[in-house]
Amino acid sequence: MFRKNYRQDNATAYAMLLPILILLTVFVVIPFLYAIRVSFYNWSFYQESVFVGFRNYDLVLTDPLFGKSVWIGLKFAFLVVPATLILAFLFANVMKNIGPRMSAFVKTSVYIPTIISGIVASIIFVFIYDYTGGLANYTLGLFGHQPKAWLAEVGSALPSIAAPAVWLSFGLTSLIMLAGLFDIPESYYEAADLEGAGTFRKMVHITIPLMRNVILYLLVTGFTAQISQYELSLVMTGGGPLNETTTPNLYIFNHFRNDVLVGNSIAASLLLFVVLGGISAIIFRVLNSEKAVDG
Amino acid sequence: MQANSRKRLTAVAAAPIVFSLALAGCGEGSGGNGGNAGPSPSAASSPAVGASASASAGASASPGSAAPGEKVKIEVWSTKFEDTTSAWLKKWVDAYNQSQDGIQVNLTIVPGDAWDQKMKAAQAAGKAPDVWNISYNGIANAAKLGQIQALNDLTDPAVFDDLYDNMKDFVSVGDKYYAYPWLVEPSTVLYYRKDLFQAAGLDPEKPPTTWDELLEYGKKLTKNGVFGFSTAQVAPELGWTTWGLQYNAAGHLPITDDWSQADVQNDGYKQLLGFYQQAYQSGIMPKQQLAGYTDATPFGQGKLAMEANGSWAIGQLRNSFKDMLDKVGVAPMPTIDGNPANTTATLGGWTFAVDGKSKHPKEAAAFISYLLAGDPNIMLDYFRTSQFSKFTPRKSVDEAMNNDPEASKDEVRAMIAGKIVPYSKPEPIYPWDISLAFGTAIESAMKGTDVSKALDKAEKDINDFIAKNKLAGTNPKQ
Repeated sequence: MFRKNYRQDNATAYAMLLPILILLTVFVVIPFLYAIRVSFYNWSFYQESVFVGFRNYDLVLTDPLFGKSVWIGLKFAFLVVPATLILAFLFANVMKNIGPRMSAFVKTSVYIPTIISGIVASIIFVFIYDYTGGLANYTLGLFGHQPKAWLAEVGSALPSIAAPAVWLSFGLTSLIMLAGLFDIPESYYEAADLEGAGTFRKMVHITIPLMRNVILYLLVTGFTAQISQYELSLVMTGGGPLNETTTPNLYIFNHFRNDVLVGNSIAASLLLFVVLGGISAIIFRVLNSEKAVDG
Repeated sequence: MQANSRKRLTAVAAAPIVFSLALAGCGEGSGGNGGNAGPSPSAASSPAVGASASASAGASASPGSAAPGEKVKIEVWSTKFEDTTSAWLKKWVDAYNQSQDGIQVNLTIVPGDAWDQKMKAAQAAGKAPDVWNISYNGIANAAKLGQIQALNDLTDPAVFDDLYDNMKDFVSVGDKYYAYPWLVEPSTVLYYRKDLFQAAGLDPEKPPTTWDELLEYGKKLTKNGVFGFSTAQVAPELGWTTWGLQYNAAGHLPITDDWSQADVQNDGYKQLLGFYQQAYQSGIMPKQQLAGYTDATPFGQGKLAMEANGSWAIGQLRNSFKDMLDKVGVAPMPTIDGNPANTTATLGGWTFAVDGKSKHPKEAAAFISYLLAGDPNIMLDYFRTSQFSKFTPRKSVDEAMNNDPEASKDEVRAMIAGKIVPYSKPEPIYPWDISLAFGTAIESAMKGTDVSKALDKAEKDINDFIAKNKLAGTNPKQ
């Protein structure tokens, strides 16, 4: 009787898994393998595709702009992710301690930027950064400063784009942090109070270590999402003053749009996949070198 | 250990999902997403892309494949230009559909920034439209790659005799015509505010004719929150808007005619970069552009005293900024030496072509002939709704315009047709990367890099591109 139940469970389990496996195979695995195959050709939709071996990869790797875009992507992620994590952490702590009615309102309104499309947010921020009529330069004017070319100056373009990125990812990050905070048993804090620990010590020795899994998850997903960000640069600067805001995906997108044959874009996408996968793996190794401690 | 590596594999495999979700999430409209679903079914069928091309070529050899009485449906895609253009297209497509029973045209208007994705996705899925518009500088390459078909056998060749001689060259490769021209528009014209000239003590009937004069006037006009001058300032826009001035400064474009190497080190280009550098650094231009080069809205709103823009801007001003019109003056773009008989603009423009894999090429060509090469009144209607800011490549339409009371009174049109179009050159057909490299050099110079260094970098980038892509000797027009 025991063995019969076990086999039934197995069949049900596979049946439950089947839909997502089919979807993943059709929309992820097959296109991925096809992309690898096509990247070795000069892929043309109208004529015979010509086998060219590693030429597409060679074109991408020897393009200084590809390396620069990966570097810009890393810079962008380093600007956005720590800022988002810190702000979200502080805000989550605030949210934890406010009353129930206020907290419902705050949680909804902080989540709204997450559902706004990146394109809409970019357009809003283009208005904010407008040289003559925008809110940012108006505020500067109140303090007596000259208007600043936020999106056109080489030094300020990337940080100016980081601002809407932080705004967009802030909501979801702080709600997940809040959930992580609620997971920490109150008894730890009470014990620390008895020992006479101050707020800062409690945060450093209790909260942050116990939130490590949450922080790790947010770090990896945040990092992957931000290094793949391209809509903000596409709409706000088009790649930026002298390619200063050309993130890797925007580099691929520009090649896809402008190139006559798309082999270059495919090779770049696959190389980027390797880069991102490698970096994600490194983050996992570095931050998860001990086994995850549960509680 | 196995669980860890599987977790890692899933996390790493999730990256493409995130990317594709992001791409799907911000695609323009649902058309692009529909196209994205295409690649998986075609994955099985495209191992021999050549085989499918020959199969459809066989099918298109028999155009009468529709049952008698049944209309042949053809898909026509046009880039979204002005609203007046979209309205004109819809009107004449409807008129065509009603005027005959054999062909049903389905028009789709695609926003310009979504065009490349939508088109490539459709081409990959084998669902490219029968008729699509293509700009002059794309024709030679599209013909070489088989993306568009020759029209000589599909339509009455007499329609091509109506074109001006220099414009026949725009749409032909060798002895075959690959598209029919719709319009031409010079890329660079100077618009200026006569009232602001007067207020600054300058003669409103004497716009600047040299670059030095432009800079000088710009300084006098920059005051009270108004900027003296505006033109393109980001590399992608500088790449194409300066073609005319590149001809003006050096007599040629940044590469040799056989496309074998960069041709960038000359005094003319140094002066060109110097001009843009001074315009930006001197403060007569806004440090961050107020709008794209092709958009005359800041000028219409009174924020600029002078602006370089294409001939289409007068159409925009006439349609949207009517109260500004009596204060606006229009003149050719200033030149390096004041010589008015020299190129300052390139003739851009659009055409309609028949897709290389179209299943109904004869019907597609018939529609193009009707719309663009047929009754001159159809084209006259177009030029009228665009406020005569665009120009025709056809002799018969020009005649009709000279007889039209409104058109013949239009001074701006007469000025552009008389002083700019005759000296304008066609747009280059070499790959965009080369123009972008030169545009990047100009942007570097504007943002402070030394002119010689910027030109050296452009030369290196162009030569690298030529070498990597084996461009030398591949000019289809040679």
